[in-house]
Amino acid sequence: MLVIFEGTSQVETTVRAVLADILGLSADRVSAFTADTPLFGALPELDSMAVASVLTELEDRLGILIEDDEIDGEMLETFGALVQFAASKALV
Amino acid sequence: MTGIRFDTYDWSGGREAMLRFGPDAGPIVIAALPLFEEANRTRQFLVTILRDLADHGIGSVLPDLPGTGESIVVTGEARLRDQRTAYTELAEQLGRNTYGISIRSGALFDTDAALAGRWQLSAQTGEDLLRELDRARVASRSAPANETEYAGNTLSREMVADLRDAIPVAGTGPLRGVRLESDPRKADAKYAASPLWRRSEPDNDTALAQILADDISHWIASCER
Repeated sequence: MLVIFEGTSQVETTVRAVLADILGLSADRVSAFTADTPLFGALPELDSMAVASVLTELEDRLGILIEDDEIDGEMLETFGALVQFAASKALV
Repeated sequence: MTGIRFDTYDWSGGREAMLRFGPDAGPIVIAALPLFEEANRTRQFLVTILRDLADHGIGSVLPDLPGTGESIVVTGEARLRDQRTAYTELAEQLGRNTYGISIRSGALFDTDAALAGRWQLSAQTGEDLLRELDRARVASRSAPANETEYAGNTLSREMVADLRDAIPVAGTGPLRGVRLESDPRKADAKYAASPLWRRSEPDNDTALAQILADDISHWIASCER
């Protein structure tokens, strides 16, 4: 179990770093994100082009492959949802 | 000496604009920006690198390839084939001591050029580029006006076909591949920085530009030995 928790926190760190890098957000702002922090629709920086960049950067850094038909509004609704999605791909 | 100069070059398909930096003597660098949206996000950064290279005494040119920058060729008529031809002919005009430096898909232009060496930052294949363009289309969830419209760029079917199997040169002559630390792929050197080419609002990174200009000037010096 410990391994899974460690893995999830590593994915979470990567998701935070990717959001900061792609959206140009400060480290302070991104480190204050919680599982409930809304993303798509709440962050003006996160337009559809940025969504594509965030997902592709996550693929590169986590070594995962996201299929286009997996991309939907739910996975981007909150920070927690995005971390959970990325972890489900990375930790299999 | 480090001032920017505006120039043009001729290739078999016409005349295009280019920027020049630094001295005309000694080794010269041709710099290549990535294609499409990433070019807007990295242009200022690449210009900063070229100004820093001029401070190291290395001259450079930043050409508009047909269908990019100020070119009169519209994006919808751009062909990778023509961009490669223009690059190759410009390299011939610049002479034997010409080094290519590129960012991302900028590494796809120099495949036919006789260069003294190639330096690539986070080189990207044509296939990966098309995948990213496709994804932007999926993420926007709007039906494109036609199937060759990608994130605001209309590409010809021929351009898409050109890109589909385009890969950066590997293995001929001196080659140095540099990537960011966040990128797990293999590289000759890695530097900690965020990927400007994916930034939603264009930005610059003068500290990284200086580090990369140092890297490039040391590499060119080692090739010239």
